[in-house]
Parts: sequence; C-alpha cells; structure tokens
Amino acid sequence: MTGGALLRQVALLALFIVTAGFWIYFSVAASGFTSDFNLFSLLRFAAIQITIGFAQMVALSIGDLNLAVGAIGGATGMIAGWAMQILGLPPDVAVLFALAAGMLLGFGNALLITWTRINSFIVTLATASLITGAMLIVTHSDPFSRLPDSFTSFSETEVSGLPVSNLVLVMLAVGVALFFLYRNLSLGREMLAVGANRRAARMSGLSVDRVVLLTHGLSGALAATAGLMAIAADHTASPSLGSDWLLASFVAPAIGGTLLSGGLVSVPGTIVGGILLATISNGLLLVGIDNFWITVFLGVVLLLAVVLDRVTRAAGGAAP
Amino acid sequence: MHRLRGLAPGVALGLLLIDLVGMLVLSVITPAFLSSYNLFVTGRDLSILLLVALAQMVVLSLGQMNLSIGSIGGLVAIIEAGLMVRYGVPVPLALAAGLVLGVVCGVINGLLVYWTKINSFVLTLGTSYVFAGINLGITHATPFYHVPNEVSSFGQARVGPFPLMAGVTIVLTLLLAGFLYQVVLGRQLLAVGGNPLAARLSGLPIRRATLTAHAISGFLAAVAGTMLMAQLGQGQPTIGATWILPSFAGPIIGGAALAGGSAPVLGTVLAMVLISLIDDGLVLVSADPFWVQFLIGALILGAVVLGRTRLNDIRAFLRISTTRVAGTTR
Repeated sequence: MTGGALLRQVALLALFIVTAGFWIYFSVAASGFTSDFNLFSLLRFAAIQITIGFAQMVALSIGDLNLAVGAIGGATGMIAGWAMQILGLPPDVAVLFALAAGMLLGFGNALLITWTRINSFIVTLATASLITGAMLIVTHSDPFSRLPDSFTSFSETEVSGLPVSNLVLVMLAVGVALFFLYRNLSLGREMLAVGANRRAARMSGLSVDRVVLLTHGLSGALAATAGLMAIAADHTASPSLGSDWLLASFVAPAIGGTLLSGGLVSVPGTIVGGILLATISNGLLLVGIDNFWITVFLGVVLLLAVVLDRVTRAAGGAAP
Repeated sequence: MHRLRGLAPGVALGLLLIDLVGMLVLSVITPAFLSSYNLFVTGRDLSILLLVALAQMVVLSLGQMNLSIGSIGGLVAIIEAGLMVRYGVPVPLALAAGLVLGVVCGVINGLLVYWTKINSFVLTLGTSYVFAGINLGITHATPFYHVPNEVSSFGQARVGPFPLMAGVTIVLTLLLAGFLYQVVLGRQLLAVGGNPLAARLSGLPIRRATLTAHAISGFLAAVAGTMLMAQLGQGQPTIGATWILPSFAGPIIGGAALAGGSAPVLGTVLAMVLISLIDDGLVLVSADPFWVQFLIGALILGAVVLGRTRLNDIRAFLRISTTRVAGTTR
C-alpha cells in the first residue's frame, strides 16, 4: 500500500468517525433524532443526495464537470411524471423511459464536448439551461402531482421492519455497481486513466472520445435515477426539481475524497459524505437552528473538505 | 497582437451586426420597441446585467471563475437595505458599507484561491452558498420593504428613454476597459491569465493580480445588487439568484476564453445587448418567458461552436490557398 492510498484510507476512516460523532451528538442533543420516522426520512434524503453525488462523481472521474445534473434530473423526473400521469404508462415502463432519456441527454453533452472540444463546463452550463428551458416551455411549469400509488408507495416501504426506505437499497445497489465498475471493469480503469491524464491516455491508444461518451451517458442516467427517487419521495414531479442540486452534487464526492481534477474516485467516501450532509441538515434543524443557516454550514463544509483534501495530498506527496 | 486578442475584434464586429439587425427587426415588427418607456426598461435591465457579466469577465481574464457573483449582489443589497430601513443609517453611509462588503467578499474569494491553489470553481461555489446562506439567515427570505426615497427614485430616474443607472454602468465599463488595456496592473492581470507559468517565471505579481481581479468582481457585483435594489425599491433576498447564466453568457458569447488571457469588454457589452434584445423581444411579442433561458443556452453553444469552427475553417482555408499558390508559382 502506497503512502497516498494509506492516507486515503485514514481520511475515509476520519470521515466515518466525524459522521458517527454527529450521530452520537444529535442522538443526545436533538429529541426525536433517533425516532423511526426521523431516521427513515433522513436516510431517504441521504440516498437521494448520494445518488446526485454519484452523477457528478462519474463526470469528475474523467476530469469533466456536469453542471446539467440538476437539469437532467428535473427534466427526466418530469418526463416520468408525464408518462405515468398523462400517458398512463405503468411505473416500470416510465422508469425505463426516464432513464433512457437521462442517458440520451448525457450522450448529447458528450457529443458536444467531443465534437467541439469545448470545455465541459461551458457545454453543460449551456445544455443545463437548454434542458430546463425546454422542460419549462413544454410543461408550462405545471407539476404532475397525481402519480400512481404503486410508484410512490415504493419509497414509503420499509425494508423488513427497519426504518430504511427502499430508495436506500436502490442507492446501495447503484453504489455497488459503481464500485465494481471502477475496481474491476476495464471501462472504469479507462475512465480513471482519462481523468488522471487525458493526453497520456490518448497517446497510449485509448479511445478517449468513447470513454467521454459512455461517462456522460452514465452521469445522465444517474441524474435521472436521482430525479426518479426524488419524485417518488415527494409524491409529485415538480418543475423546480433539480434546481438546488448543484452544491449537493459536489459536496458528497468532495467530502468523500473524489478528486475534482479527475483520476480518483471514492464510492464509499461519497456514500459517507452524503450521509454526513444529510445528518447535519437534519440534526441542525432538530436542534432548532434556522433552515437558512444550514446553507452557510454546507458551504463551509464544502470549503473545508476541499482545503483539507489539498493539505492531506500535499502531506502524502504527489497526487496518485 | 495580445491587445487584439484581448479585444476580440472579429467577434465584436459580428455581434454588432447581429445587434443592429435585431434592433431593426424588433422596431419593424413591434412599434412598442422604440417607445421611450420600453427603451428605458430595457436599458435599465441591461445596465444591471452588463455589470454582472463584467464581474465574471474580469475573473475569467485571469483564467478563473466566480460563481458567487449573484450571492454577493444579493447579500450587499439586503445589507444596504437592512441598514437603511431597520437601523436608519444615512443613505451614502449604507451604500458605501455595501460596496465595501462586496469588495471584501471578492477579496475573500481571491485569498482562498491564491492560498489554497484549488480550482476557483469549487471554492466560489462554496463561498456562494456561504454568502447566500448569510443573506437568508438574516432576512428569513422576507424583503426589507420601502428603502428611502432617494434610493428608489434613482431606480426610476430617466432622461427621456435613458435610465440614469446606465450612466453608472457606462462610467464603470470605461474605467474597467481603461484599467485592463492601459494600466500596468491590468496588463499584468491579462498576462497572468494568458500564461501563469511564464508570468511567475518573469516575476509578475500573481498575488496582487488575483486579489485585484476578485476584488473588482466583488465590487461590480455589489454595484449591480445595489442598482437592482434601487429599481425594486426593496431589499429582495432573491436578488442575484438568477445571475449565474447571464454572467457567463456575456463574456463567453463576447469572445472570452475560459483559459484566461483575454478580456473582451466590447464583446461582452455587445453580447449583453443581444441578450437584452432577445429578452425584450420575447416580452413584446408576449412569448413564454421560459424561452429566454432556452435561447441563452442555445446562444452560448452557438457562439462557442461558431467561434471554434470559424477559426478552424480559416486555418484550413489558409493552408489550402498557400499550397495552391505555391503550386501555381512553381
């Protein structure tokens, strides 16, 4: 084990301890924190935040950004709502429909990036505004609030009597798949190679354009997954869905040790990071801290995470 | 050459033509476009959004970004309004405090970027939530109503179709252009953005350039927030919430490069005129307001794609023609 890898394990452990510390503190300080109802909604919220984080983490792994995560999640959530409420499609068909739409939108981003060679920041800034604009024009900003019970009850179901929503299982399944992708599949290794050094990857014969295409397609599909989870939990597909995902999409991966410059991801880190994020939001509210101040707190957490990451990497030598 | 690159004359000329055609089309299809009131309202929106775009451009010229422009504008506006409405602080003092706050927010961004050497995108994303959160924590999302009359009447003041606010924007735009193209520190800023490594090796003051660019960005955001507060007549906590897209649209359509080294003031002005024309045109033909967002997105993509292909086309054309010329002379 190299020094850098050891340091990352220590950082993940530290993140875990910090999260556990918050859980102990809130269990004592905030009445109702450990109630089944609260734990259920906390973990469900965390599952959605983590999936949003996954969508960004995947783009970060190749050194790109996806500012359209919220736009894709919102638009595909609306598509699923429309498919179920207006077309009357069964939920599983609507889900597949929305996932395909998310992947196609991701492919669109990738094609624009590889075709024009323009920075992913500008491309996804522009497509985010195109996607959200088109969604609002088509839907006239009307929500779909009569989703079938068979769809919404999925997020309410507890897993074998524990205060854990089915959505948490969805998130965990996605996490395991991503872990496997980056650990065992050649595509995952190629994504990391492109993220670590795009030029070197290209010169050693990797088809960088293919990797970019698949990565953004995956990011789009994950954003759609988060959108579907959110409309299931909210019982409504609202046109404002996704508009506040930008911070969340970066915080969980950044706290978890995913490098913003690419080449290094941490699936367990993103999961623990997302749980920490949800714990702080939920606990501070229960302690009676104003909802508005929590935004400040999350901004500070993001800043601390990236600065700490910088410091530990400087201490551990060159970036892996 | 460097100077020409900074000014991006080709882009500016193209945008100027598009703007003129746009104005012509609008004045033909909707006579209301040329009405004094419409020109005043459009000019006022343009005055504010142009400052927002310039606030981004000055940081982009350094090869960095500022995602917190909207949050700074909003925080400054509600602090000023709060001081005047809640605590009865005299208007000049309250406005001065707000503008200083904007500069301080910008300097905080600059120091964070300089010290940590972390990507300015993620740092200013973090500070944007801190500034926006402080705004909401103070106001609980309720506006400070009824700012003093001198402030709100400035927001409505006009000479014919000409909003008084535009005077502030014009002066600040000229000062910024003068600073970037004529003052040593401004030229150094562009040099640092163009090639940070070369700038460091040749001993340019990178720290001062970084802090200056972010301070100017914070100041322009603060002025924009103040002007929007004056226009609305109240300290709205949502001021600045929608500025992120126009802040990038202006400089990018105007010919700025994300990598830094270019500061197309004229291009940014003309790009913002185009966006105002689109905005106003959609209002005049009473189209769905959501088209604005869609069209700005399309415009950004169109502008960068066009800029990219045009350069390649010109290069390809030159290469072909030179070989042909070489072939015929032999």
